[in-house]
Amino acid sequence: MSPDLHLAHISDVLLTWAVFAYAFAMFGYAAEFAAGRRVAARGGGTAVVERGSRRTDNVGRAAVVLSVAGWCFHLSSVLTRGFAVHRVPWGNMYEFSCMVTLVAVSIFLLLLGQQPIRRVAAIATRRPARHHMGWKARESVRYLGAFVMAPVVLYLGLAGTVLYAAPGPLVPALNSYWIKIHVVAAITATGAFMVSGVVTILYLLKERYERGQVPLRLTLTTRLRSPMRPQRVSLGPGTAAAVEMTSARGGLMRALPAAANLDRLAYRIITFAFPIWTFAIIAGAIWAEQAWSRYWGWDPKETWSFITWLGYAAYLHARATAGWRGRRAATLSLIAFGCLMVDYYVVNTVITGLHSYAGVS
Amino acid sequence: MTQTTEPVVSADQTEKLSTAPEPVVGMPGRGPLRIALRMWRQLTSMRTALLLLALLALAAIPGTVIPQRGLDPVKVDNFLARHPHLGPLMDHLSLFDVFAAPWFAAIYLLLFISLVGCLVPRIRLHAAALRRRPPNAPRHLLRMPASTQWRADAPPEEVAGRTRELLRRAHWRADVRPESGGSLTVAAEKGYLRETGNLVFHIALVVLLVGIALSGLYGYKGTVLVTQGGGFANAREAYDVFAPSRLFSDSQLSPFSFTMQRFNASYDSSNGEPLNFNAYLRYKTSPTAAAKPYDIRVNHPLDVDGAKVFLVGHGYSLLIKVTNKAGQTVYDQATPFLPDDSNFSSHGVVKVPVLGNGQLGLTGFFYPTAGASPFGGITSIFPAAQRPVLSLAAWSGNLGLDSGVPQSVYSLPVANLKNIGVTQLSPGHSWHLKDGATVTFLGVQQWATFQVAHEPGKRTVLVGAVLIIAGLLGSLRVRRRRFWLRAVPAAADDPDRRTVVTAAGLARSDAEGFADELEELASQLGRRTAAQRQSRPASGAEGI
Repeated sequence: MSPDLHLAHISDVLLTWAVFAYAFAMFGYAAEFAAGRRVAARGGGTAVVERGSRRTDNVGRAAVVLSVAGWCFHLSSVLTRGFAVHRVPWGNMYEFSCMVTLVAVSIFLLLLGQQPIRRVAAIATRRPARHHMGWKARESVRYLGAFVMAPVVLYLGLAGTVLYAAPGPLVPALNSYWIKIHVVAAITATGAFMVSGVVTILYLLKERYERGQVPLRLTLTTRLRSPMRPQRVSLGPGTAAAVEMTSARGGLMRALPAAANLDRLAYRIITFAFPIWTFAIIAGAIWAEQAWSRYWGWDPKETWSFITWLGYAAYLHARATAGWRGRRAATLSLIAFGCLMVDYYVVNTVITGLHSYAGVS
Repeated sequence: MTQTTEPVVSADQTEKLSTAPEPVVGMPGRGPLRIALRMWRQLTSMRTALLLLALLALAAIPGTVIPQRGLDPVKVDNFLARHPHLGPLMDHLSLFDVFAAPWFAAIYLLLFISLVGCLVPRIRLHAAALRRRPPNAPRHLLRMPASTQWRADAPPEEVAGRTRELLRRAHWRADVRPESGGSLTVAAEKGYLRETGNLVFHIALVVLLVGIALSGLYGYKGTVLVTQGGGFANAREAYDVFAPSRLFSDSQLSPFSFTMQRFNASYDSSNGEPLNFNAYLRYKTSPTAAAKPYDIRVNHPLDVDGAKVFLVGHGYSLLIKVTNKAGQTVYDQATPFLPDDSNFSSHGVVKVPVLGNGQLGLTGFFYPTAGASPFGGITSIFPAAQRPVLSLAAWSGNLGLDSGVPQSVYSLPVANLKNIGVTQLSPGHSWHLKDGATVTFLGVQQWATFQVAHEPGKRTVLVGAVLIIAGLLGSLRVRRRRFWLRAVPAAADDPDRRTVVTAAGLARSDAEGFADELEELASQLGRRTAAQRQSRPASGAEGI
C-alpha cells in the first residue's frame, strides 16, 4: 500500500507545532528556574528560602500547560505518521527520534504528575486523609523542565532536518512482529536514559556546589531532621544570616534540589530503564536469530548496545561500592549515556552494519 | 520508653548492600598461599569487577571501528592491501578478530572468575539470611529515618497481634517479642527477593556463557545454493560452504532434505525496494518421512530437528543449452549467476568440457530488466526479471578442466583463451558460433541460498537470558525493608489508660516509595487499634 502523503504532511506539521510548544515551554521553565523559585520542601531535607513571586509561578504553570500541549501534538504526529505509512511509526531514524523524545517527555510529565495524580486517586477512592504520619511529600520536578526540554528540542530539530525520511514502507528485514517488541523496548529505555542523563548532569553540578557549602548544609539539615523536638527547629539568628549568605552566592545552583535527591532520582530512572534495555538486547538477539540466522554476531549495533549495557552495569555496581558512589558513579552513567549516543548516531550513520535502517542518505 | 538490650541499628546501614561479604581480617597460612589468597580477594572485589567491566567495554570498541573478518572479510583484505606494514602487525594482535582474540577472552574469563568468586560466599550468606528471623527493634524507634507514634485504646497484646496479622497478610516476615515492663515489639522484614534476584541475575550470566560455549564446541553452520526445482539433503558434501565447530562429528547432521518448488520475490514497483522473498519448499525430516510444505522467508526460518534453515540470499539461474556442430546437446543446465548490485545485474560463466576441437567457455552478464546505464552501455534498472537480457562472450582454448585443480564455477580466467565472439540474447533466442556450435538462452529461474545452522547451546542461552531479566527485575525493583512497632502499656498516671504505640521503618536498599508504604501501614494499624492520633510529623524518609 502506498503511503498517504496528505496524512504524512499533517504529521510533519503537528511535529513542528510540538517543537514550538516544547521550545516555548523550555523558555518558561528556564525563566521560572532563573527566578529561583522553588516549591518549598514540605518538611524537607534542605532548607529553602522561598524567593520569587506568584508571577514566576504562573510562568512555570504556563510552561507545564505548553509541554502538555506539545506532548499532545507530538503523540498525534506519531499516530498520523503511523496511519499514513500503514505500519508502526518507528521504521527509520527520523521516526525513532520522534518516539524516543516522546518517551522522554512522557516520563518527565509522569514524574511531574505524580503528586496531582495521587491526590486525585486518593479523593476518588475516598481513602481517609493522611493526617497522622507526616512522612514527607514528594518534591515537584518542575525544576527539570528546561533541562529536559532542551535536549528534546535539539533531538527533534535534528530529526526533522538532517534525519528526515520520506514516508515509505519497511524494508523486508524489519517486517516482523519483533519490531514491536525489540524496538519499543529500545525506544523506552533510550528515552528514560535520556532523562536520567539530564538529572545526572544536574546532580554533578549540584554536588560540586554543595562540596563548597558543607558546613552550612549540615547545620540546617540536622536541625530540620529532628522534628520530634519542634522547639529546636526554629532557625536561630546565626542560621538566618547564613541562609542569607548562601542565597547571595551560587544563585542558580541553589535553586536545584539537594544533590542526594538528584542522585536518587537518576538512580530510580536507571533502575527502570536498565532491565528494559537488557530486554531490548535479548529481544534483538532472538529476532537476529530468526532474521540473520545467528543471535549474536558482534555487528557494530550489537556491540555498542553491549558496551552501553556494560556502562550502566558498571554504574549500578559503582553505586554499591565504597569510594565509587556519588560523583564517580554518576560519571560512569554519563559515559554509558555517551555510548548510547554513539550507538544511535554514529553507528547508524557512519559505521555500516546490519542495522542500516537509518533512511538517511 | 522501655529498656532493651539490643543494639541500635545505625542509619548508615541503610546504604550497605544486604549480604555483601565482610572483609576477612587475619589471613591464614603464609608465603605463596598468603599471596594467592590476597590475589583471590583482589580479584573477587567489587573494584576489580568494575575495572574488568570497563576493560571489556573498552576492548570491544576496536571491533566496531576496525574491519572484522567475521563481519566483512573483503574489507579486511582491502585494509591489509592498503597497509602492508601496519596490517600484519594488527593481524598479529588479532585486531581483525577482536571478539575471538585471546586478550578479549582473557578479560571476560577473568570477569566471570571474579563473578563466581564473589557469588559463592554471597549465596551462602543469603541462604543464612533467608532462615534468620527479623532483627530486634532498636531501642529508640523515633530516631529511625521514618517513625511515628500514637496512642491506642487496645492493650499491647492486641496491638501487637493485629500488627503481626496485618504484616503477614502483606507477606512480611513478622515476629512478636516481649520486652521487660510488659511492652511488646513487632519486628518485621520484607524484600528478600532483592538479593535473590541479584544472585539469580549473576548466576544467569554464567548459564549464558555455558550456552555460548556449548554452541561454540558442538554446533555447525553451512550454506548451500539451490535453484528452483532443485533439492538439498543434509550431508557435509552437499554444502557449498561448511563450518563445523571444534568437537563436531558428522553423526550430528540430522537426515532432513528439501526441494525448492518455487521462489518468489516482489518489489516496490516505484523504486525497486524489496517487499518480500518467499522460498516454497517441501521438506522431509528423514528419507522415509512424508514430505511437508513450508515457505521460508525473511524472519521465518524452517526449524527441523534442531537445525534451522534460513533464507540468506537469492539471484537468477539462467537455463542455457549448448549444442555442437552435429546437433548433440553438450550442456543443458540451470547456471547460477551471482548478483552484483541491488538491481541484480549478475555475472556467471558456462564451461563446456567437450566441443569437437577443444573446450568452450562463456562469460556472461545478466540484466533482469535491461536499461541504459548512466555510464554508457547496459545495466539492470529493476530487480525483477521484466526485460531479461543476457550478454555473452565466447572463448575457446584449454579451460584447464582436466587439470585436476579445483576451479570456481563463477569465474573463468581468460588470459590464455581466444575470444570467438560476443552477443546479447533475450530468452528463447539462439546464438550460432562460427565453429558450428549453438548457444540457446532458454529462460530464467531463481535460485536461493540457504544457511543451515545448528546451535546446541541455544536453549541454554535463552534460559540464561530469561533468568537475567527476572533476576534484574528482582534486584532493581524489589526493596529490602524493615519495620518495627513497640506497644508500651499505659503509664499509671494516664487517666485514659491508653497504650503508647511507636512504629518505625528502615529501607535497607533505596528508599523509593518506602514512605508511602509505611504511611499506608501505619494508617491501617491506627484504624484497627482504635487509635487516638497524636500527630507529630516525622521526617527523613525522603523521596522525590
